[in-house]
Amino acid sequence: MKNGFTFFLGLFLAVALAWTGIVMGSHVQLGHLAPYFDENEGKAFPERMPGIAAQGQLVYQDLGCAACHTQQVRRPDFGSDKARGWGDRQSVARDYVSQAHVQLGESRVGPDLATFGARPLAVDATRLTQYLYEPHGGMPAYRFLFEERKITGERSADALKAAAPAGYEIIPTHRAVSLVAYLQSLNNVYEYPEARPVEPAATKEGESK
Amino acid sequence: MTTAPQAADAAEVTEIDTSARWPLLLLLGSALLWLVLSGILALANLVQLHTPEFMAGCSALTYGRLSAIQETAFIYGWAANSGLAVALWLLARLGGAPLRSLNWVVAGTLFWNFALILGIAGIATGDMTSNAWLHLPAYVLPMLLVAYGTIAVPGVLAWTGRRKEMTFAAQWYAVAALFLFPWLFSIAQMMLVFAPERGVLQALVAGWFVQGAWTLWLAPLALAAAYYLVPKITGRIIPSYDFAQLSFWTLLFVGAWTGGRHLIGGPVPAWVATIAVVSCALLLFHYIVVAVNLRGAFCSGGSTVLKFVAFGLAAYVAGGFLDAYTAMRGVAVHTQFTHFSEGQAQLALNGAFSMLMYGAIYFLVPRITGLAWPSVPLIRAHYAAALTGTIVLVVTLIGAGCVQGHDLNTAAIPFADIAGHVRPWLLAATAGQAILLLGNLLLATHLFWLAAAKSVAPAVFNPAPTMEASVS
Repeated sequence: MKNGFTFFLGLFLAVALAWTGIVMGSHVQLGHLAPYFDENEGKAFPERMPGIAAQGQLVYQDLGCAACHTQQVRRPDFGSDKARGWGDRQSVARDYVSQAHVQLGESRVGPDLATFGARPLAVDATRLTQYLYEPHGGMPAYRFLFEERKITGERSADALKAAAPAGYEIIPTHRAVSLVAYLQSLNNVYEYPEARPVEPAATKEGESK
Repeated sequence: MTTAPQAADAAEVTEIDTSARWPLLLLLGSALLWLVLSGILALANLVQLHTPEFMAGCSALTYGRLSAIQETAFIYGWAANSGLAVALWLLARLGGAPLRSLNWVVAGTLFWNFALILGIAGIATGDMTSNAWLHLPAYVLPMLLVAYGTIAVPGVLAWTGRRKEMTFAAQWYAVAALFLFPWLFSIAQMMLVFAPERGVLQALVAGWFVQGAWTLWLAPLALAAAYYLVPKITGRIIPSYDFAQLSFWTLLFVGAWTGGRHLIGGPVPAWVATIAVVSCALLLFHYIVVAVNLRGAFCSGGSTVLKFVAFGLAAYVAGGFLDAYTAMRGVAVHTQFTHFSEGQAQLALNGAFSMLMYGAIYFLVPRITGLAWPSVPLIRAHYAAALTGTIVLVVTLIGAGCVQGHDLNTAAIPFADIAGHVRPWLLAATAGQAILLLGNLLLATHLFWLAAAKSVAPAVFNPAPTMEASVS
């Protein structure tokens, strides 16, 4: 390799080709993807995240929740995501178009959260807030998202039903409230045309016969 | 019997080595401090994995933040500093002239490490981004880029101003790593942090960057060391050397395409994953050529340096085959999202990269300082700890991943039970990490001991015994 110019051209092409292929190739395919407007429901999906949930997404990001939780459901015949109740259909690119910080995650130390908002635990904000305060199995308590406040006058309506020293109450901070709002907003269940579960080939053949 | 690295042969040490002494020692010293720090954090992180309440009350050290800090300290602290030191030294030696503009290295190293400390403090206090291998907050990224550029300047000068027109495999890998990282890093900064892409394109860019940072930066740095050390120490030419060039270009052109294997079954175009699977298989050619070219390392003939190199090469090649195996969809469905992937990452980072760097450090430090390593048993202890620690860590994480993958895909097993099934494996992995940390503490202590000894007694060249068989 005596020719320096050819060598550098090679280095340049090595990066440029992979970048063009993977990044630009996907960009051409997905860059124009827009929310899907459902005429029957009169609104577009995925729905825009409420402001407080968008703040919660930043809390989710800066605490590193994605180190243990994925937000991507695999198709029904690939793994047991559907059987575990994590989603009836696979996640598709359109699910994420309105998210500023996509956090697909790479590890399932904890359960997948792509459709968390539809689960019983998430429906009740008070219960979910309480859940963050107490350790559960593999998930530690996130007590720094709460503050212990002296009760002055009446007990606050937001106070948790948790053991606090006499005269004190446990109040979720704004970060806890926004994180809960974010977790409740995770609800990728709308069935886009491209997201209909793919039936295993054997079933299709059986049906046609 | 083991021949331990002793004082370098006076005839072999020239101004090329000694003139770069302090800048390279600064890079290596910082690298080892980061290595020890990342080892401590990795240990704490593993403890959190099987005992979640460990440090749970501390917001700066949640599992997610600690894991990001540990990864950052390892990649940008240990790997970058040590890799740059080794690459600069190789380029100077093979270029046949002392490094020029060394002040740039010193300034760059100081700025690089300062930015890194700032960035890690940022992650701990809530400025973390969610991109793998790029958790650092936006405000330190430009400084890191500039600092990297300044450290790399003497390397580029050594390449362009080399005395011989002919080049060696070690030079190709070192120059490729020096040049390609700033490029990858700046594109990733733009497309992930400063002007982020929309939706899942973020995940695709991140996947491309992580894979690129491994195949176009860290792996070439490690291979540069291997391609220099093996022929140098064995005194034999590289067998099947004609293939080395083809293997180099295969790594560069095919390697970065393999990143999509982590997104198999994910919400991304299916062709991304398919190309990754095919690329992983193509890349096997590169791994086979590396194994054939550098098989001399496995007949170490008593050289301690070669023992480190042999283990590193074995881990590198094994990692390549494991990547190709787990990229297949039928296997990925079980290993994806589990500790198996972490085991593979540790095999590459601790097994391949670090081991090759340890070998290079044991070889180059006596040459740049003109001093022998103070204690041979300490080197042997480090080798034993690094070997045992890495094997235990990787095997147990892969074992944990197999159990976890099986359980996750068996819907009848309640999710809450999985942690219990994986726990024994993770306890063993913690032990492996502890052994690894102990070994790295020994190396760091040893380097600082050597540097301190130097300041007391001026460098004395001791012609005998020669450190390693060498053919310049």
